[in-house]
Parts: sequence; C-alpha cells; structure tokens
Amino acid sequence: MTMLLNHASHGDGIGYSFAQPTAAPVQQHSFYPYTDNGGSTLGITGSDFAILAGDTRSTSGYNINSRMAPKVFKIGGDDETGEGAQIVLSVVGFAADGNALKERLDNIVKMYKYKHGKPMSVSACAQRLSTILYEKRFFPITYTRFWEGKGALYSYDPVGSYEREQCRAAGAASSLITPFLDNQVNFKNQYVPGSGEGHALEPKKAEPLSRSTAEGLVRDAFTSAVERHIEVGDYLQLVTITKDGIEEAFQPLKKD
Amino acid sequence: MDHFPGTWGRPRNDVYGAYDHSYLHTTGPKTHTSSPAVTGTSVIGVKFNGGVVLATDNLASYGSLARFTDVKRLRTFGENAVVGFGGDVSDMQYIDRLLESMDIRENYSSHGNMLNAKNLHTYLAKVFYKRRSEFNPLWNHVLVAGFDGEGKPFLSSADLLGTTFSGPHLATGFGAHLAVPILRRLFPEERPIEDISKEEAVSALKDCLKVLFYRDARSIDKYSIAVITKDGIDLKEDEQIENQSWAFAERIKGYGAQTK
Amino acid sequence: MDKLVAQYSRPAHQNEFHSDPEQQDLDSGLPPLSLKFALPPVDNHASFLRAMTDDHSNPSCPIKLAHGTTTLAFRFQGGIIVCTDSRATAGNWIASQTVKKVIPVSRLSRGEDKPSKDPTPGLLGTMAGGAADCQYWLRYLSQQCTLHEIRHKRRITVAAASKILANLTYAYKGYGLSMGTMLAGVTPQEGPALYYIDSDGTRLPGNLFCVGSGQTFAYGVLDANYKYDLTEQEALDLGRRAILAAMHRDAYSGGFINCYHVTEAGWVHHGFDDMNPIFWKTKLDHGEFSNVTSEL
Repeated sequence: MTMLLNHASHGDGIGYSFAQPTAAPVQQHSFYPYTDNGGSTLGITGSDFAILAGDTRSTSGYNINSRMAPKVFKIGGDDETGEGAQIVLSVVGFAADGNALKERLDNIVKMYKYKHGKPMSVSACAQRLSTILYEKRFFPITYTRFWEGKGALYSYDPVGSYEREQCRAAGAASSLITPFLDNQVNFKNQYVPGSGEGHALEPKKAEPLSRSTAEGLVRDAFTSAVERHIEVGDYLQLVTITKDGIEEAFQPLKKD
Repeated sequence: MDHFPGTWGRPRNDVYGAYDHSYLHTTGPKTHTSSPAVTGTSVIGVKFNGGVVLATDNLASYGSLARFTDVKRLRTFGENAVVGFGGDVSDMQYIDRLLESMDIRENYSSHGNMLNAKNLHTYLAKVFYKRRSEFNPLWNHVLVAGFDGEGKPFLSSADLLGTTFSGPHLATGFGAHLAVPILRRLFPEERPIEDISKEEAVSALKDCLKVLFYRDARSIDKYSIAVITKDGIDLKEDEQIENQSWAFAERIKGYGAQTK
Repeated sequence: MDKLVAQYSRPAHQNEFHSDPEQQDLDSGLPPLSLKFALPPVDNHASFLRAMTDDHSNPSCPIKLAHGTTTLAFRFQGGIIVCTDSRATAGNWIASQTVKKVIPVSRLSRGEDKPSKDPTPGLLGTMAGGAADCQYWLRYLSQQCTLHEIRHKRRITVAAASKILANLTYAYKGYGLSMGTMLAGVTPQEGPALYYIDSDGTRLPGNLFCVGSGQTFAYGVLDANYKYDLTEQEALDLGRRAILAAMHRDAYSGGFINCYHVTEAGWVHHGFDDMNPIFWKTKLDHGEFSNVTSEL
C-alpha cells in the first residue's frame, strides 16, 4: 500500500482558491474496490450490561452468499473459541474490510496485553480503533461500524469519528431500526399521560433498561427488519457482555 | 468553504475540480487486470460425510468465444486440499505459481506440507484482499475444499475483493444462480452433512454441471471433479457430461426472429 | 535492476505479501506517530476520495461521512462563549443527534467531559465539517499541547496552538480534509483569544465567529445583539439563541444546544440541552419565532 511519509509533496492535487486551468483528468483505473455484503447490527447498553446483535446473512446483489456468516466478533480472546475476550466488535458493510479490521484490532489488543501484562481498557481500545480507521482517511474502509465492551458502546463512522452511545443501529436496515430505538429506548415523542394539555405535556424520561427488556427490543427490532429488508435474515446472533463475561446465542429469523 | 448550507464543508469544484463520476464506473483504459480476458465460468462444491467434492468444467472462454476447451481449473495442494478457480485464467496460473512455490517451501521443512485447506483459504483471501487494496486485483472467484484443523470437511469461497464465506454447498458465477437452488433442494439446511453420502454428493454435482451446460453459454460438456476424503484426493480431469436430454429445447420459443 | 533480481531470486509467494515495514506496522500495538496514511493507488487520490465520499455532488456515493453543523464562539468582557448544535448528517440521514462538537484540547481533561462547576484548565476546540477530521486532529493537537507543557513548563498560547493546527491543515491541503474549527482559550500572555482555522489552511484571530452550514443564521442573531459588555448570563443566553435560530432554519443543524464558557482558570460546561423545549419556551414566553403557529 502506498504510504504517505510525513509531509510528502502535494502531488497534482494542490488547490487554489482561484480557478486553475487544468488538463483533462487522467483516469487510469476502472477497478471498483468496494462491495456491500448487506446485513444489519444493533447495540444497546444498560447499567451493567451491553448487548451487540447482528443477523448472519451475507449477500452480494440479490444472491445470498451464506446464511451463517456472523458479523459480531470477540476481540482479544482465543483464536478459535474467543475465550478470554472482553471486547466485542461488529462491522457491517464490506465484509472483507470488516475482517481485515477485526484482525488488526485483535492483534493490537493482544499485543497490548503481552506488553503491559493487563488487558486493554475499553476506552483505550475505543480511541485506538479510531486512529486505525483514520489511518485510512484518504482510502476509507467502507460503511458504518460499531463496537463495544463491558457495558460501554461506541459507534464509528468510516474514517474514525466516534461517540459513546446508549444504543445504535447500523447497516442495511439501520433506517428501519433507528426510529424504533429512538421511541423505545430514548422515549422520543412519548409523554407522561395526564401530565397536562398541549405544550404543558411532560416528556417521558428515559430510564436505564433491564437486560430482559433490552433483549426483547433487539429481537423485535430484527424480526421487524427482516419483514421489510431483503438483505436481513436467517439467524440473529446475540452477544451479551456483562462483568461476568460474554454470552453468545443464535436464534432463527425468517429465511425468505 | 462557502455559505451555502448544502455544500458547506464539501470539496469545492474550484479546488478539487469537478466531481468525477468515472471512479464509480468500470470502463476506461486499463493498466492492470481491470477486466478479465480469458475466463473460466462456475465452480461448484458440496460437503458430504467425511469429505468434500469440487467440480468445474474444462473451458476457458475469450469473451463469447470458446477459446480453450481443455483447461483444468481444479488444482490440488498438499495431501488434502483442492482449489477450484473461476474468473481470469492468467491470474489463475499466477496463483498456481504462488501455491507451487509455497508447496516447495513447505516440503523442504522437516514436517512436510502441513497446511490444510483452511490455512490455504486464509492465505488466498489475504492475497486477494491485498491485491484489491493495491487496485491490482487477481480477477478470480475461488472455492477451497478439504479439511480444517480439526479434520472436519471444509468448503469456503474467496473472491477478487477478498470477500469470504463458507457453507455446506457453494457455487460461484452462474452456478450461484443455477446450481445453488438445486443443491439447496437436495441438501436442505436441516439435513446434517453426516447424512449425505459421497455418491449422492457426486451425482448432485453432475446434475448441476449438466444444468449449467444447458443454460450457461460459457460452459462445455467436459469437466473435472475432485473428491477429497481422508484417504486423499481422487481427481478426474477428463470427464464427459452424460445422459443429456435436450427435449426441453423443443418447447422454448419466442426468441429473435422466431416469434411463434 | 536489484528489484528485478530480488523478484526472481526468491520464491513467488514472498513477493505476494506485505513488505517488512508494512508487516511491522500491522503487528505493532502502538499508533503511528509519523502520520502515515494509506493512499489509494490511483493517479489523483483526492478526486478518488471525492468520488467515493461527496454525497452532495452524488447522493448515491458509496461512503457517506458525517457532516453539517452550526458552531459559534465569541469574546466578551467575561471571557469566551462557545456554543454548538449536536446533529451529524450523512446525506439526508441524521446519523446522530448527540454529537459532542466541543472538544477539550488540554492535558488534564484527556477528552473526558464530565459536567462540573469547577473550571477545567485548557483550550476548547470546535468541530465543523468532517467529524473524524476534527476529532483526530484536535486529539493530535492535544498531544502537541501536552508536549509543549512538558518541554517549556508553561501552558501553550492559543496563538501557538492554532498555528500548529493551521500548519497541519495547510500541509494536507488538496488531500480532501474538511474541517472548520475554532480554538478558544484564555492565557496570561494573551487574555481571551479566539482563532478560526479551516482545512484550506486559513488561520484568523477574531472576536466572533460562526462556522458551519448554519453559520449565516447564527451570524444574523449574534451580530444584532452582540456587545462586548454582556454579562456572563446574557452572553450564554445570546449564544444559545443564535444556535437555536440556526437549528430552526438550517436542516443540517439540530438536536441539543451545547454551551461552554472559557475563563483564565479554564472552561466550564453550561449544559447539553434538548432544543425542543427551549424553542417553545423562547416562542411562548418571549413572543419570538412568530412565523410558527403555537396552536397544536
């Protein structure tokens, strides 16, 4: 990969605020390096847990590549079983980029543990993932992804801006799931009944969710998304992180 | 930066030149394999109890011309792994050289070639991903068949972008449209792999190849098939599609000049 | 020639993987200090980047980055007020309504943002344009400011900090960065100091700036009501009112109003408040926004 070392010359791309006569652009490559493998992911946190869930369908165009291609990964654990991991990453969009990113972060978390003799903290790992993504600022890794561990959920844009959040949906069906979460997790546009008339109505306050409520919301979000989005389906991978460790479960979704 | 809300913070035409749509299209002059020349069509594979079968036909097309009719697109690696190639044939031959040199290196070590199909698939996927990141892709879609580290049957796919996925039966190219539905009917998801016999898997692949020959204009009736079991690889490279029945062709009407 | 010899004197598979330095970068756990960025291997990488990410010129571009903002900062007799909205848009999609667009640039805060009545020492940066660009480079600036403190045993001036950032954006001019940021701080050498820096390499000192897609609306309110002699409360209210006007008129701005006050002791956070109740309060109690009907 071409690397830009320190501040190399500007190349041809230098810009001026006044118009420059330019020759016809040289267009050398016609290879398109991205694709979208579909699927959707969703994360919700409560006071002492975090849930990260995703469907397991992998698509290319109208074809289903695989019905069992999980997109929630354990980071920093055993290679095969994921045992010992405390951090979970999910990537949605272009799966090859996602895999490369997962391996990169997995490497970093492991090296940190070997070098410092303690596991990497969630906030440090969140920050590090942001710099990894920004290294590809000028050749971005595709699509939204988000990531979490031990009761904290962070979401990222393709070039590394990140934010800690209560809940977040990403991927193909994010536009279907996000309004549902706004309403059911943050109680947006819900009011306390009988608290007044018109402008005096009091908005309902959002409370930290219990684990069973959150799991119910995740299931409802995915079963609904499956009804209305062709790239979502097959199985629901539900990963729950508590202080006791990581639990993983698969549940069937509709397969049409 | 200007004061129009919609364009604020966006690249400006006077600085970056006009928005260039051509990066999103796949036409124009080439410096690398940005579109394949001599190509192979589908690769299909099925897992069965104790192994995997992989099959391709023996044709390399040049556009719509059936240019080379005796090109073997299955390649063995070590004792228990086979790669089936679809896509560009020159890139297939390049990967073949890569695998050759790796096989030689492995065989010089004291323990022999210990790389199993899963290792091989990981390697190939990384090579594909690296080359796509250099915008110099190896224009192939491959299936890798054999056994994983635990000795279970392994079948997985990798393509020119580095995308990977696996399953009990897979097909690339036209096969994804024509062979996969047949395989999904014969081997539904609830049916365990232990329940599928070698003979059943082989005959299913032969059926698929036949259907592909009927409908895929870039295919031929000569094929290669590899049966991978614990005992080794049984590779046959000069097979002929048998029991063809073109009776269905009589009923197809309504193309081109023939309208009734 | 050496390259050619090397290519054929070792096995083919060795050519087909990462070079040693590349492999080292992948394995090392530390973030790069040398500012190495991957570039797409095409002739004109800025135009490749634009083709992939400019959702205004091509609404169906494959990668949509977070954009859109109203941010403002102004000097007054009591220090500096910094106010922002909290919306991030990717195309027409509202990617987030809870973005923290005021980024502390100081050693002690380390990017943490716990509301507190006590001032936290350090500078404030604002985020407009590409969210990742602002976050990354302001974090880089924090690092440089901390190094400055260690080397010189005193806090960096706002002038020096803003120059570091402006030199950087100028070095990357033409690569496709997008950021419009303001740096605010009060130091013994300068008093209250406010600078505007953007990705074209511009660096301007000033009393009053609004940045982002909603800047014009905010300027309208601010210019009409701004005086240097405002009290602290009046200044905070004016900042909020200007952001509210921009949220109302600019579709790319909205969410929560984020308010900070910078003094010589450091900055104090004055709330991250939902715009909706503030809007109705402003309308019903003060009779403003008469363009909107109050009947439900």
